[in-house]
Amino acid sequence: MTAVLDRASRSVASVPLGWVGSPRLLAGATTEDLTDYRAHLDRHGEPKWPDRAKLLSDLDAVGLAGRGGAGFPLAAKIRALRNSRRATVVVNGCEGEPASAKDTALLLHTPHLVLDGAAAVAAAIGARSVLVAVTDPAVQSGLQVAITGRPDAGRYQVRLVPDRFVIGEARALVEALDGRAGVPPGRRIPLTEAGLSGAPTLLSNAETFAQLAVLARRGSAWYSAVGTTTEPGTALLTVSGSVANAGVVEAAYGTSLAEVARLAGAGPAQAVLVGGFHGGWLPVDSSLPLSRAGVAAAGGSFGAGTVVFVGTDTCALAELSRIAHWLAEQSTRRCGPCAFGLPALADDVRALVAGSADVGLAQRHASLVSGRGACAHPDGAVRFVLSGLRQLTEELQSHRRHGGCGRPDRHQLATSRAAALNPAPIGGWR
Amino acid sequence: MSTVTDRPQLRIDWTRCDGHGLCAALLPGAITRDDWGYPVVGPAIAAAAPNDVRRAVSVCPALALRFGAR
Repeated sequence: MTAVLDRASRSVASVPLGWVGSPRLLAGATTEDLTDYRAHLDRHGEPKWPDRAKLLSDLDAVGLAGRGGAGFPLAAKIRALRNSRRATVVVNGCEGEPASAKDTALLLHTPHLVLDGAAAVAAAIGARSVLVAVTDPAVQSGLQVAITGRPDAGRYQVRLVPDRFVIGEARALVEALDGRAGVPPGRRIPLTEAGLSGAPTLLSNAETFAQLAVLARRGSAWYSAVGTTTEPGTALLTVSGSVANAGVVEAAYGTSLAEVARLAGAGPAQAVLVGGFHGGWLPVDSSLPLSRAGVAAAGGSFGAGTVVFVGTDTCALAELSRIAHWLAEQSTRRCGPCAFGLPALADDVRALVAGSADVGLAQRHASLVSGRGACAHPDGAVRFVLSGLRQLTEELQSHRRHGGCGRPDRHQLATSRAAALNPAPIGGWR
Repeated sequence: MSTVTDRPQLRIDWTRCDGHGLCAALLPGAITRDDWGYPVVGPAIAAAAPNDVRRAVSVCPALALRFGAR
């Protein structure tokens, strides 16, 4: 698994792929050119076009939840559409989370599966068009070529939007697609009521649509043959950090952390960050089941399925501090508590790196940020920082006692997808 | 019959709020201000007279407050 990266443009030309068990979404993606529509049909078969009732019953049977992070049931979104014939289907392929590359991987290596899923939803609800939003120019151009090979090419539109962390947030994305600044609006009106150009909008993550394409073809019984009872099927994980092979891994829900660690060649780790920079730091428990419920039971958040191993060779507190500052910079500065609170919180963490003993300061600033913004960014950033501080008690102690831990910050928590997919050698110097 | 969710709630549009602080002055005890001047709505808001809350909404210079079921 070698990443082909164009560091200069921050664009990712290819994503290393792997799997535990049998791949579904990623089947054939490493050996065949599935950007070719014929090759895609040979691999996956003709697409199925369920009507609305059949689609909803399949979705209900497997409880298909959005794969962007929030995990909202897709069937509930479809039912909430105010007037589905006026609706637009939007595929969110933006992936604002730097440690996530799964949607990029799907759109680069098996784009027709995503498009099939989006087209199936559009057909079932009677919507006319499908809009795919991406941030990476390489993904955009690849998609445009792939679409021209489809019989229904006229249905799709690909739009490039600015790459920033909050763009992954559904309402911020719709703002950007409507030609406004891509920041979350102040009032929370569901997109299913008024989204793109004020019309009802069915927006979901690229992986959600790819999962749906597999479900529509194979049926709910086949789909549920792997995974857990409450979360059937597979999930795409993006594995990075202190690993020999970073990349996107397809695994059945409930696959243990140990199996993913083995596949990726994870080195000795002091913690694992699950769910990205809005997610939580967890102890390295090899039996941790990688599912929404499994990670939640461990006190974390599955998010978009990113798994970052934080090695014993890096200063985890410095990694935490660096990302806390990065998260503060990602604030769009529209909401005061986020604009002022996140930098204050990041400075508190920097003081802890320098040996300060006052964890309470960070906790107080965190409490002033949580729940006080127009989007999920402040809450997610606080979850990241507080779970890190809870997890890194030994690190905090050695920094308090000795002013440091003697380890450098190896940037295992990377702030660009290209860097996350191309990790430094374990134990090596960057 | 009204349920808990039907009860009118004070909502802050954080993209509009500039921390002028008039709401905190009008509803002392129910609303305090954080380190940067932005309102912190405390549990005492539930006991505040609806008319006092509406007054705070109407005087907000940034039109950042709303009081209603949604």
